[in-house]
Amino acid sequence: MQAIPDTSRRNFLRLAGAAAAGSVITNHSTEIASAFERAVEGNMDVVWLQGQACTGCTISTLQAQYPTLEEALQQFRLDVTFHPTIMPEAGNEAMDAMSDEPDILIVEGSVPVDMPEAATVGRNPDGSAKAVVDWVMELAPEADIVVGVGNCASFGGWPAAQNKKGLYGLGDNITGAKGLQFEKRSAGGVLGPDFTSGLDLPVVNLGGCPPNPDYVLLTLATVLNGHIPELDRYNRPKPFYEPLVHDNCPLRGYFDRGEWAEKPGDDGCLLKVGCAGPYTRCDDMSRLWNDGTSVCLNVGAPCIGCMEPGFWDRFSPFREEIEESAILGPLSTTQAGAAGVVAAAAGIGAHVARKAMGYGTFEDGEEPPENQEPPGDQGPPGDQGPPGDQDQPGNQDQPEKPESNAD
Amino acid sequence: MPEITIDPTTRIEGHHGTTLQVEDGVVQEAKSEMKMFRGAEIITLGRPPTDAAQITGMVCGVCFLCHRLCSSKAAEDAAMNAGVFDGPPRNAVLLRDAAEGIFYLWNHAVHLFALVGPDYSDAVAGTGFDRLDPLEGDGYMGAIENQRKLMKALAEFGGRAPHPVGYVPGGLAVQPDASTIASVKSRVMEVSNWLGPTEAVPEVIENVQNGEFDPELGEGLHDIVSILVAAAEAGAADIGEGPNRYYSNGIFEDPDTGDLFLPRGVYRDGSVELMSKDEIVEGITEDTEYSWYTDDSGGDPRTAKPPEPDLDKEEAYSWGKAPRFDGESMEVGPIARLVIKEADPFDLREALGGGAAESNTLNRLIARAQEALLVRDQVVEWLDAIDPAEPFMADDWTDDFTGRGVGLFEPSRGALSHYMDVENGQIEQYQIITPTLWNLGPRDGEGQPSILEEALVGDEVDNVDNPLNVMRTIRSMDPCLACAVHVQGPDGEFEAEVEPVRPGMSEGGCDV
Repeated sequence: MQAIPDTSRRNFLRLAGAAAAGSVITNHSTEIASAFERAVEGNMDVVWLQGQACTGCTISTLQAQYPTLEEALQQFRLDVTFHPTIMPEAGNEAMDAMSDEPDILIVEGSVPVDMPEAATVGRNPDGSAKAVVDWVMELAPEADIVVGVGNCASFGGWPAAQNKKGLYGLGDNITGAKGLQFEKRSAGGVLGPDFTSGLDLPVVNLGGCPPNPDYVLLTLATVLNGHIPELDRYNRPKPFYEPLVHDNCPLRGYFDRGEWAEKPGDDGCLLKVGCAGPYTRCDDMSRLWNDGTSVCLNVGAPCIGCMEPGFWDRFSPFREEIEESAILGPLSTTQAGAAGVVAAAAGIGAHVARKAMGYGTFEDGEEPPENQEPPGDQGPPGDQGPPGDQDQPGNQDQPEKPESNAD
Repeated sequence: MPEITIDPTTRIEGHHGTTLQVEDGVVQEAKSEMKMFRGAEIITLGRPPTDAAQITGMVCGVCFLCHRLCSSKAAEDAAMNAGVFDGPPRNAVLLRDAAEGIFYLWNHAVHLFALVGPDYSDAVAGTGFDRLDPLEGDGYMGAIENQRKLMKALAEFGGRAPHPVGYVPGGLAVQPDASTIASVKSRVMEVSNWLGPTEAVPEVIENVQNGEFDPELGEGLHDIVSILVAAAEAGAADIGEGPNRYYSNGIFEDPDTGDLFLPRGVYRDGSVELMSKDEIVEGITEDTEYSWYTDDSGGDPRTAKPPEPDLDKEEAYSWGKAPRFDGESMEVGPIARLVIKEADPFDLREALGGGAAESNTLNRLIARAQEALLVRDQVVEWLDAIDPAEPFMADDWTDDFTGRGVGLFEPSRGALSHYMDVENGQIEQYQIITPTLWNLGPRDGEGQPSILEEALVGDEVDNVDNPLNVMRTIRSMDPCLACAVHVQGPDGEFEAEVEPVRPGMSEGGCDV
């Protein structure tokens, strides 16, 4: 156990203090910070499994700065008994090292259900390859908390993207890739809608391709300090997944003036070249990536919506404007700029103007918008929301929102 | 003959296992098994060319940039062949060179320090060299810290890393100003300083051999040299011997002359043959005899259909295909690039590894270290050559065309090619051949093993419970399975009983 460097604790406090309003992290930043000083009773066993993964979530977590992954592992007394990319052992010894009753189970990558052989690790007693889905079914019920890191583990992600040509009779979802408790925007997933872990929580989903590294470590910090994270309807921690990308966009002024870019890199709002910012919830626009270096829209690249369930197909083709009626309700994009100008001229706050256009932030106490549906009564008839995913939010498949037990 | 199965291979990217037939302590036959399947090519079909870069870029979270750029090149090639596009601007070519160069540094550092390095550290191999003990050693931790700086540099242009979104077909979304470029340069310089001065290599070798450590000469350099010396002492030059055939697509294009800093070509029968893009493309075929794909999924990747899963092939053991050049297996990666460039800085491969063109476990590591030193100064030159006043994105890029194209690229792990056919703005065919397929694919229909399968034959297994040399050989190839698309046999049956395998540390996980 190395000594805790003071600088990292300060950094962590700064970060915790900067988290979004209403978050357990803000409310309890002092206590969370004290987790650095307080030894957790015994080590917490962590198992980090990879299903149909690209290791991008691991690489992302490796970029965390406040705290760094190393600091988190040291200071939170996490004992990673299995992580395929960093563990010293290989083969059977690697499997033997894995805790069969982990306190924390982290899964990266989707889990193929229709073709379980599409992701295996280690062997069964009879020597056959052991499917990741079997590992998940065994380990998840033993864990105090189960975390789906990344869009694949949360919602199916990349491997669940549509087989658009319908090749080879493989179906839309080639291998039946699912998230742990969701398949795109429908509850269910590998563990089923009713699964709860030892802490009586559903799978905590950290959507993103990949998720911001802070999300992973701060979520663990929250739990280890005895707090239950407040989750949204897709079981994502609210502090991270409440802000709308569009509301904090550096190109926002262009939108309000109705100035549209014709290609990435142009001056102008990127809405017409496929930006998913109005649909996408994450606080990366203010948190930024790679130690505050940048974020997607800062480099002129449209938001691809990777934090959302239903990413990929919900937002592709990525370079085409997402059905404008779905974004703007009764207004076309051309009118949007005009509306912004009119609102400004009339002295109406941008917030009100945005609400008038059918998106934007909501007042305290109001329900958070359900992933940006068009306003019900005002939407044009037959509007089915963004293309590519027919599972609309709010259907009966959606799980009950977990009790908010932030304290 | 005892059969040894190692599953999973850890400290690599992705799901991989190896089955070995061992007799009298020597590997007689090896099967390299790829154990994950997602269907990248199938998912890419029916979408516009620009989306292919987005999708295939996220095929792998380790080599994200390479797929993104290779796919962009395939799309741009197809659009140029269709006559609707004139090519990316000069700035984009330079910035892609710089970004990929930074990626080389990042990948080589992560591989040498965090993935393969521990194989020669105290924690794993009991060598007394503890600076690379996973998550504990000062060298390991220093590399983790420094890799962040390189990722920050990539994020300056791409918005974030991994999975940056700023690199797109037609050029770059971002228009970096002089201060952004200067910021990237300073991050690269910081890491370069941590690594240490290139000319200090001989002195550092002497230091390491004398048990001295002089941080003034570069912490990074001391650790890398320590790995190389430890590997040499462990006999790594005598294991993992490949066929001495190499292939590289070449990389780092001079936007004015088209020359490649690392050249394109093959090395076979003891000599280098520099080749044109067309000559390379003409030479490549894929074989699916031992893959879980239908037989007609192989062939010429320009015309072959997207790989069709076939779960009933009894002889198959991998969903990797077997790519071949003029019918022969070819080793790819840093050693291939440097052999084809005929570069052996400080004669390290000649002196330590038994010959500059010898394919073995030690020389793969040496080449990686040599290449990191060669590329880092170039990165700064490419950054300096960018003119922020000029465009980074082509005005004429469009998805709306009919044409076919090939993107040849050379990620840190070796040769990568993407093949794209577009009809009326929609992708009809897509093929990807990854470096890991070249090195770690299965046998072909002629029974010719892949590079790894050949390299493992003859390796000694002193202790079947701890075939450390086998792991060292596998990891020397820096395998990365995610993009290689594959799986294990659908029925999950294996012929022989599995022997326990215990490479590595004594007990438990990596307590930290």
